[in-house]
Order: sequence, then C-alpha cells, then structure tokens
Amino acid sequence: MRDLVSHLTALDPGAAATVQVIAYFDRLVEGRAGLEPIVRGAAVLSGCPARLSDQERHVRVRVQPDGRVVPATQPPEPDWPSVPVRADGPPALWLERPGPAGPVDAMVLERASAAARGVLERTRGRAGDPASVEVVLDASAEERTRLLAGRRLGLGPAARAVATDGARPLVVAPDWTPPEHTRAGLGPAVAVADLPSSWAKARIAYRFTAGDDDPGPPVVDYADLGGLAVLAGAIGPDTTPVADVDAIENARTTAPWVLPTLAAVASAPSLRAAATALVLHHSTLQERLGHAEHLLGWPVRDPAGKLRLQLALALWRLHRTASLVPDG
Amino acid sequence: MTVRYPPLPFDPELAAALELNKNERTVLDSPAAIPQMRANMAARQIPLSDITGDGTITASEVDAPGPRGPIPLVIGRPADAPADIPVLYWLHGGGMILHGHKGRDLLVLKEIALALGIGFVAADYRVAPENPHPAPVEDCYAGLEWTVKHAAEHGFDPARVVIGGASAGGGLAAATALLARDRGGPALLAQLLMYPMLDDRNDTPSAHQMAGTGVWDRTANEIGWTALLGEARGGPDVSPYAAPARATDLAGLPPTFIDAGSSETFRDEVVDYATRLWRSGVQAELHVWPGAYHGFDTTAPQAELSRLASEARLPWLRRVLG
Repeated sequence: MRDLVSHLTALDPGAAATVQVIAYFDRLVEGRAGLEPIVRGAAVLSGCPARLSDQERHVRVRVQPDGRVVPATQPPEPDWPSVPVRADGPPALWLERPGPAGPVDAMVLERASAAARGVLERTRGRAGDPASVEVVLDASAEERTRLLAGRRLGLGPAARAVATDGARPLVVAPDWTPPEHTRAGLGPAVAVADLPSSWAKARIAYRFTAGDDDPGPPVVDYADLGGLAVLAGAIGPDTTPVADVDAIENARTTAPWVLPTLAAVASAPSLRAAATALVLHHSTLQERLGHAEHLLGWPVRDPAGKLRLQLALALWRLHRTASLVPDG
Repeated sequence: MTVRYPPLPFDPELAAALELNKNERTVLDSPAAIPQMRANMAARQIPLSDITGDGTITASEVDAPGPRGPIPLVIGRPADAPADIPVLYWLHGGGMILHGHKGRDLLVLKEIALALGIGFVAADYRVAPENPHPAPVEDCYAGLEWTVKHAAEHGFDPARVVIGGASAGGGLAAATALLARDRGGPALLAQLLMYPMLDDRNDTPSAHQMAGTGVWDRTANEIGWTALLGEARGGPDVSPYAAPARATDLAGLPPTFIDAGSSETFRDEVVDYATRLWRSGVQAELHVWPGAYHGFDTTAPQAELSRLASEARLPWLRRVLG
C-alpha cells in the first residue's frame, strides 16, 4: 500500500485516483468491515492521520497512515478537512492536515464517512437497541445485567434517561440536548447502575411537559421541578380535579388567548415581561387579566394568586398527562 | 474428479488493498508473463541508503563464492550493536523465478534487526527456469555456509544463526535447513518460514479452493514449480531439497515459525508441514491468518492482519534467540 499511496497522489486526481478510492471503500463495505478499517483506509489513502469521533455514540478512532491506532491527545484543528457522519450532524471525520481538501482527500472523506455511517447505523443505532435500553432502565433487572446492557449501548460513566412523546425511552449522554419540537422529560444524569431511578424521574418530569395545544414548556428537566415533583404522585387517571383545575379548563375554552396569557403571567418575572413575551401592550394585558381573573375566580396579579395560578396550571397538566406517561 | 470447494473470502481490509493495486499487478498466467514480473520486481528494489539513511543500521554488499559464480549478499546490523550478535540468514520470495534480494524485505529485516538487536544477511540466489533445481537451493546453502564461516568478521555469532524466508524464499529456507541437517552442515538455531512454497504437487484442497483468486494462485504456482523442476514437477522423483513437502522425515530440524493466510494456495501445505514437524518432535509455531491472501503483509503492510502477523514473529524470535 505504501507504493499505492504515492501512486494515488501522483495520478491525475480527477479520474483514476478517485475511482480507486471508491473501489477501496466499496470493498470494505461489501466485506462488512468495522470502523477501524474504514478510518485506517482514510489515513492510508490520504497519507495523513484520520480520526472519527461521534460523541453521542461514544466512538473515537484515530489511525495513522502507517496503520497504527493511536488515540488522539488534542482536539481537532479547525482548519482540518472534515465531514459529518450523521446527516445534519456535527463534523465527525477528520483528515489531520490543513485544508482545503484536494479532490482525492475530498473523495476519501466522502466515501469513508458514508461507510462509517453504515457501520454506525448497523452496530450502534441512535437510540440504542430497544432491548438493551429496556434492560438498563429496568429496576428489577440485576445490576450486572444492567451494566452489561449499558456497555452494549456504549454508555459512558454517566447517562440520563429521557421520556419522550415517541414510543421508546431514550438513554443519552449527560450533555444531550433534545432536538427541536421534541416533548421530553429529562431524568437526572446518574451512574449507569442508577438509570432506573433516572428513568422514574424522567417520567415524572414528562408529566409536567406541555402538549401541542399548551404554550407551556415542552421540555422539563426533573432537576428544575423541586417540590413540584411531589404533586405528580397525587394525580392519577382517576383523581377528581380540584376546583382550580376545572377553572383553568373552563377559562381556556372561552377564548384562545386565555391559556397563553395565563401561562405567560405564571412563568414571567413581571407583568411587563409577560406583555413583552406575548407581544402585547401593557394596558391590553391588564385588561385581559381582569377578564381572566373573573373567569378563574381569583386574582393572579398578587404573589399568593400567582402561586395559586402556577399550581393550578401544574395540576391541570398532571391531569392531562395522567394516562399519557410513556411506560418503561 | 475434483472436489469443488466453496469460496473463502478475503479479509475486507486486505480485499480493499488488493483492489487498489489490481491494475499494477501482473498475473502469472503463462510463462510469457515472467519477464514482466521480473521487471516489476526490479523496479521494487531499493538502494541500501533507504535502510542506512537514518544511521540506525549499517549495511554492506559482499559476493560469496557460489557453486557457479558469486552470490550477491547484503549484510546488515544495528549500528550500535556489540560483537557476536545472532544473525538472520534471509532468502527473498519470487516463485523460484524472480531475482532480487534488495526489495522491501530489507525494510522488514531492518525492523527485525532493530527490534531484537540482531544482524541479517540477504542472499540473491540463482533462479529458474534458466537455473533449475538444484541451482537455487545450492546457492542458498553456499550463502549459509559462507555466513557461518565469516560470521566473526561481521560481528555475528556463528552458533546463533536463524534461517528464514518468505514464499519461495521460505521454501528454500526449509530446503536449505534439510540440506544442512543431512550434510552435517551449519547448525541452525531456528527456521522462520513465512507462507513458504513447499509442495510442487500443487494439488491440495486450498490450491483448488483459491484457484483464480488473490495473489499466486494454482496456475502461477504450477508455472513456478515447472520452471524449477521441468517435466519432473508433480512426479514421483522430486527431491525434498527442491520441495520440502516431499521430505518423509522432518526429525532433527530446528524450532520453526511457519505461517500462511487461510485464503491462499499454500494454506494446506503449510498446515501439513507444521503438523508433520510436531509429529517428528520439532517444536513449531503455526499461524494461519484468516482471510489473508499470499504475501498480504507486503501488499497491505498497514492492514490490521499484516501488523499482527509482523508483530507475531518478534516474540518467537526473541524466545528462540534466548
């Protein structure tokens, strides 16, 4: 291969060399080669070290052009040519030399990343394989079994469970942020052995999340709930709502502005801030609140009334999610 | 009737490397391709400065007297090594038909020399068809005798000589070891047989299974052996000094390292030779590299299997050198 590399770079980079690059990675894919041969191919064909790093899947591979696997000691330089491996993902495959990439390097990056994507999808599915996720979150499974499942999922020392509107729970890295338009309850970051408790708390957090027709928060972190978390245990599918919850439900159905207005007032630090958030004139907000207070039957502009509103909204959401909670 | 064997695929990384150089490889499908193969081999020879340039190795060229004229040798040793170091006497590959003791083997010999603090002697023996059996093996034997006789002049310990070679060179190393045993010649400490060419009959299951694939298939093997042995190839009267697989008695040979790829012509003759060494009371270390074709470690030195194969030889050498 030593001969081939010099041969590749000497060739007209437009034609023969890129064809050889394609053929090389095609053979790796045909043979179901793993990540290391793919990264090694990128290093050997480009003649410089290549590295693959996928944070979410805990994958790090770095290979020198002589074929040796040598872990990286420094983060990638910003001027190294790179490509994402996941569609719309961050840069994940680098050639360790200053860019821009020539035609051969560009083809190496393209074919190597496509090959790596195939391997990652095959071996380290994004949400992890459902069976392993189920085991790692299952408090009744033996700890040894759960730790094994955690290794299968490629988890680091800490992870957090996430309850979403999708059918399956997620287990993610502590610094994970939910994609846009996701409704999610985040459990705390814990050691892998404690993931069942993170999962229980993620489900509690999920119960405080807002649905599509609710201007409240779609993502709730259990850590931010504080004492509110206790309320979740008080509201089940058969619990009779207190009068304030009925009042919220009745008020919201009288006009479309009612719920957004109440939610803004409940969460904003001041009425002025609430008006800004709602893009309303301050006096208009005052007028609307007068009307809303009449519908609810209690004032919301003094501290006690604001707390009562916050509690009423939280309880209202808990009733709405009492039977919606994704189960483990 | 010939049994049909299912295909045995190559390791994906090795397959990809083979794909890369397929346009530059000459396939030995007829004796007419021999000149082109020799030209390729000549182009792969390197100047000695490629191994001495960094100052870690000193090397010289010497002609040893052979049965029919001089045998060119390259002699190398670590620059900082003391006197009386062990020496690896090395025979290059090339299907019994290719010249050239200054190929990339020298880079491998340099690595081994530096890793173990030993010297090496690489010999350019005569090749077939111009010089049929026994010319090649007699040159190899003469080079070995010279190496032992002149060991002290080059700072080598004549009592610690390992013979080794790859492919045809591995076959010739095995044959030279048999000659040394039977003639009461130089005592060898060990033999290092890298995917050696041992059996002129060319009729093992692996020879049939891998026909038409990879590097050095059954057709190429037949051309190589026929160049060496002519009409006698595959017949009843082939000498074990030509084809060591023909030896009926392997007792008294030195400890052996022997390897092959699972996906090459030589797989079965190599495994059989190792098995017969054990049965003859000779200690042998056998490696079969899964999915490797012939000469995989020189075609794709960066590949994982190539690196493992190169690394595996060192601890064995360390043990036999003591």
